[in-house]
Parts: sequence; structure tokens; C-alpha cells
Amino acid sequence: MTELSHIGISHFLTLSAILFTLGVFGIFRNRRNVIVILMSVELILLSVTMNMVTFSAYLNDLTGQVFSMFILTVAAAEAAIGLAILVVFFRNRGSIAVEDISALKG
Amino acid sequence: MTEFIAPAFSPAYPEIFLAIMAMILLMLGVSTDKEDYRSISRFSILSLIAVGMVVIRLYEGGVTTFGGMFVVDGFSSFMKVLVLFGAAVSIGMATRYARRERIMRFEYPVLILFSTLGMMLMISANDLMALYMGLELQSLPLYVLAAMQRDSVRSTEAGLKYFILGALSSGILLYGMSLLYGYTGTTQFAGLAAAFESFSHGGVPLGVMTGMVLLMCGMAFKISAVPFHMWTPDVYEGSPTSVTAFFAIVPKIAALALMARILTGPFGNMVLHWQQVIILLSVASMVLGAVAAIGQRNIKRMLAYSSIGHMGYALSGLCAANQTGVQAVLVYAAIYMVMSMGAFAFVLMMKRKDRMVEDIYDLSGLSKTQPMMALGMAVIMFSMAGIPPLAGFFGKLYIFQAVVNAQLYMLAVIGVLSSVVAAYYYLRVIKVMYFDAEDEALDAQEDRGLNLVMMLSSLSLVTFILVPAPLITAARLAAETLLR
Amino acid sequence: MIEALFFYVFSTVLVLSAMMVISAKNPVHAVLYLILSFFNAAGLFVMLGAELIAMILVIVYVGAVAVLFLFVVMMLDIDFTRLRDEAQKHAMVGAITGGVLLGELAWVYSQWMGARDALARAAQTAPQATKGLTNAHALGQLLYTHYAYLFQVSGLILLVAMIGAITLTLRSRPGVRKQVISHQLDRNPADVVKIEKIETGAGVS
Repeated sequence: MTELSHIGISHFLTLSAILFTLGVFGIFRNRRNVIVILMSVELILLSVTMNMVTFSAYLNDLTGQVFSMFILTVAAAEAAIGLAILVVFFRNRGSIAVEDISALKG
Repeated sequence: MTEFIAPAFSPAYPEIFLAIMAMILLMLGVSTDKEDYRSISRFSILSLIAVGMVVIRLYEGGVTTFGGMFVVDGFSSFMKVLVLFGAAVSIGMATRYARRERIMRFEYPVLILFSTLGMMLMISANDLMALYMGLELQSLPLYVLAAMQRDSVRSTEAGLKYFILGALSSGILLYGMSLLYGYTGTTQFAGLAAAFESFSHGGVPLGVMTGMVLLMCGMAFKISAVPFHMWTPDVYEGSPTSVTAFFAIVPKIAALALMARILTGPFGNMVLHWQQVIILLSVASMVLGAVAAIGQRNIKRMLAYSSIGHMGYALSGLCAANQTGVQAVLVYAAIYMVMSMGAFAFVLMMKRKDRMVEDIYDLSGLSKTQPMMALGMAVIMFSMAGIPPLAGFFGKLYIFQAVVNAQLYMLAVIGVLSSVVAAYYYLRVIKVMYFDAEDEALDAQEDRGLNLVMMLSSLSLVTFILVPAPLITAARLAAETLLR
Repeated sequence: MIEALFFYVFSTVLVLSAMMVISAKNPVHAVLYLILSFFNAAGLFVMLGAELIAMILVIVYVGAVAVLFLFVVMMLDIDFTRLRDEAQKHAMVGAITGGVLLGELAWVYSQWMGARDALARAAQTAPQATKGLTNAHALGQLLYTHYAYLFQVSGLILLVAMIGAITLTLRSRPGVRKQVISHQLDRNPADVVKIEKIETGAGVS
């Protein structure tokens, strides 16, 4: 808790909430630009990591940090797969615009 | 640092064995010159069956290991056997299709093995971290499988959509987990349950409530409950059919197991709070599954909506939050699996002049050209609609019994009504097959395996009424271990 | 005092660069802003005492993931102007969703309180980084003992990512000449080199 004595836990949590919101907003705003969507997902994961690390420092418990290490690992794997799918999609389509996901085709 | 004691490995033998087999098959596939799809897929099926045997043999009640992160009990064994069986059948069903559609690469069965492994870890998860890792090990191969037909726009687009929404849902799930961790200071299910013990009568802090809702949103996405279902129809339609069959048969079961474990375990003391959320998801899924499927012509899309509806019924069983409810869900999951195996075996056999067709109206007059095939499908459709002597009816019956026992009358009424509406589109398939003017005939089926799967599936749906005891008993034992 | 200063510098830059990530006109800029936001987040993690996570964020995220993004953005020849025009349509929905979400989370955090026994429970689960251990040391001791199971699973996840990326993107093209090193080494000067004496002024025929 020493590290947090000057800056309260709520500052860090608010920061992570802003990041999370920006990530979600980014996904909505760039509905068809898949690369930016992937980056928004990275922002969301960054906000989760920040939450975990903050709680970990606050509780003086390493579980949160271990969890965030695993989150970073999985996020790297996820980015690799996402970009691979994006590349094959681009090869077929010549563009990265995805049809609107909520479109209900007949 | 205290002395470290090596954990007991024996409860995890099935998972360890499956992981090793998957890696051996991967190396075999890489090192053989011509990509030997057939033998790899055969070995995969054999290893899945072997793992299933080990799961049954190692059946024991309530053992945890790896620092309490991994639990093996009757419930996990039951679900694992279902998942392994489903995965083995869907690899078997894929062989011919994979050759036709040129997705016959050895990575296909290997990825299914890894995904199945992830599901097993997920079913046995006893800690939020273990849950997350299992979930990701399950989903990452699924994204790749959806895009497996890499030269087709439809398949890669399906993969991309699935990936984006899946990644978003994992993010939401994780955010929920971080709130729960921050509140309780632990990620273990037992610790969470202990921390939530005081909430049984109102007064849940906002942080916990938000975390729980976010966690449930993430999981609802994985079983494609409304309103997190947007991906399902597109992904089902776009992915190669054999992959769609896998999506419909297996991951749903695993995610349902996960949901049952979490809701009755760590959140077991907060029934009043999660019940409303699950009721909402369940009602929305049942209604949308019934209504939206009516307009569909593509049979894969129709089955996608049908699976949304089925998940709605399963969720309404969970709302009961007691042993009968969980037991009904387990029975329903098993029956759902058998029905969708049969239905997808049928879809995989639908081709005309050696090209796959997916339109429902391509089936016109099938009863005259392919009477056996039409009969098998008719039985499956009747069962999905819940027509009395068939297994699907009993599945729904157990669910509604549990729901009524829990005094959730509205839920039961909506369930019955929506299953009446849903019956319309199942019966439409039968009507097209039996009463519409004869169209150009579908090709005769040369794939004996698919035919066998469909026939066995419809046969077991018919005979369930004669010998219901084994499934019911197994489900009861499993539900007992979960809710002790 | 100085801590507060650092916190506000890091967090302001972090939020601004995150905003730029989702609104930059050029995706290359977006990736660069993403890198900037990772650096600032790493600074905040150091302030929280999580040095290892901060380093991982810089090394793995900036070094590998962000560079992978950059690589893909540059490799694909994408017409971004067209995508951008369509992006504006959804901005309103996104803004409403985001606003509601932020409001809710702010509400949650404004009355945040942990369980009374959270600290006690946490101390049971994991040994702490007191006792003069560095953060990396303490995390390593946990990761390879208590969490060895998850460590193995994360290895499997990375393997799956590798298989997936290779399956999807690797193509063997026919007609491409490849370097076969054994053939090169097999060549013997005696078989392929001939030494001839050429007379002056006669030329080579």
C-alpha cells in the first residue's frame, strides 16, 4: 500500500475505466476498420491489466500481477491470430471492411 | 518462501494425455512429407476416445489439485465425456467434406484437439485465472478453424467477425474478473464463495454486482445467448460446414458447463441477484431463436437460430438454481448434442451434382428421392421441435418441470409459447421434404459415416423413451456433486 | 508531491494517446500512439511497484505486438480514406454507449470498497514481495511453483497461436526456386570447374 499512499486507488481505477471506455468506443466508432478495432481490443486489455496491477498493489498480493502476466501472454497470442486472419481476409477481399456485424441477412 | 510441494498430477491425467497426443500428432503432421490428413484425423479420434475412457476410469468425487485451481468431480467428468464424444464425432464427420472443400490440412484435427483440451480445462476450472486460460485455449483454435477455408471470402470473413466479437467478449469478461478480484482479494472459486457468503439477503456492493454482470455477459457471448448472439448466424453460415458442426455441437456444451459451475459455485449465495439476469438472457434467447429462424432459407442460418433458442431453454433450467435444474440442463445438453450431430450430418450430406447446397428449398420432395435421409431428418426436426415421444420433448419437459418447481411460472409459459412458435420452422423443413413438388434430386449419399451418424442420432432420439435411465441417472449424479 | 506530478503526466499522456489511437486518420499513427500509451502505462505500473509487468509491457508489447501491428498495417495496402468516411456514422452510437459505460464505472468506483477481509484473504493466497525480494524474483517464485499449471497452459496457447498463424498465412508457391544448401555443399570443384589455357589474342570460342 505504500506506493499508493499519495495517489489513491480510485485515481488508478478511474484511469482504467477511461481506457476501457475508450476501447469500447473505438470499436463502435471504427465499425469497419478492423485494424483499429484490434487496437481498441488491446486498449481494453491494457485497462484490465491496469485494474489488476492496481488491485494487486492495493491488496499487497501478487495474484493480480501474475494474472496480468497471463493476460499479456494471451493478448499477444490473440493479436497474432487476429492479424493472421486479417491478412487472409485481405488477400481474398482486397479490403479490410467487414460487413456490418449486426446485419441479419435473409 | 515456503517449501514447494509438487501438486498431484493424477486428476489431470486425461488433460495431460490429450495435450501430449495433440503435440505428437502435430509433429507427425509436420514431419510426414505429404500431409497425411486421414491418419492424423483417425489418430485424433482414437486419442479423444482414449481420453474419454480415462476420464470415466478416473471418475472420482471432488478432488482439487494445482493449488486448488483444477477440480475433478462427477459434474466435470460428465461434461468432459460429452465434449470428447462430440469432438470425436465432429472430426469423423469432417473427413469427406474436408477433402471436397480442400481444407484437408493436418492442422484441422490438431486444432480441434487443442480446443477440446481448452474446454476440458474450462470445465475443470476452479479459479478465475484457470477459467480464463481454458477459455482462451478453447477459443483461439475456433477463430482459426472458422477461417480455415482461407481462399474463401465467406470463411475468412466469418473468422474475422468471430475473432473480433470473441476478443471483445474476453475483454469484458476480464474486466469483470478484475473487479471481483479487487473486491475479494482472491481469484479462487472457494474464496469468492466465502467472500460472497454474507450477500444471500440483499446488499451486494456495486463493485461485485458490476463484476458479476460483466462476467456473465462474457460467458453469455460464448454460448451465444441474446443479446450477445450477433455473431452466431454469420459465423455459422460463413464457416466451412464441418467446422460449423463442431461449433454447434461442442463449445456450447463446455460454456454451459462453465456457466453452471460459476453460477452455483462462487455465485451460489447470490442467486437472487443473478437470477434476473439469466432469466432475461434466457427469455430473449428463446423468443429470438424462435422468431428470427422463421425467415431463414439457409439451413445453416436456421440451425444457428435454433441453437440460440436451445441455449435459451438450457439457461432457463439454470435459473432454477437447484439440483433438479442443473440435472435438467445436463440432460438437455446431452440431447441437444445428439440432435445437432444428426442435423449437421444431414447438412453435410446435402449436395447436388457434387456441389454443396444449403437452401432449405433444395430439399423439395426429398422424401421421394431419398426416403431414408428424409426420414432421419424428419425425426431430428420433430425432436428439436419437442414433439412428444422423442427425446427433445423430454429434454424440454425436464427443464420446464424444474422451472415450475422453482416457481418461475412466467418463464415456463414463455418457454412453452416460444417452443410452439419454433415448431413452425422445424415443421416447415419436414413439409418441404414431404409435401413440396419434387425438385431435382440430391445426390445419393456415398458417405456411409455421415449416414451412420444421422441414423444413430435419430434412432437414439426415438428410443430415448424406452431407456431414459442411464442418461438421467448420470445427470443426477453429476448434478449432485456440483451442488453439494 | 512528485509522485502526483508523475501520475498526472503519465495518465494525461496515456488518455490522450489512447484517444488518438481510436481517432487517428492514419493507422500508422494509430499504432505509434498505441506504443506511446503502452510506454505511459508502463510508467504507471512502475509507480505501482510492478516493475516486471512494466518491463514486459515495454519489451513484449512495444517490441513484439505493436511492431506486428505496424508490420501488418504497412504490408496491407488499405484504402483508409473510404473506411473513415463510413466511420463517422457510428460515432454517435459509440459515444452514447461509451458515455453510459463510463458513467456507470465512475459510479462503481466512486463508492468502491473491498471486502472487509480482502486483505487477509489475499495474504493467504500469495506470499508477498516483502522480505527483500525484488518484484521479478517474487513473481518468478510464484509463477514456476504455485502457478506452474497456468504457465504450461499459456505455453499451449502460444503454440496454438503459432499453429494458427502458420496454417492461415503460409503458402508454398509452386515454381519458386529455393536455396538447397545441401546441393550447394555437394558441388565439387573438380566436376564443375574447368581450367583452360587460352592463347593470347585468340579469344574464347
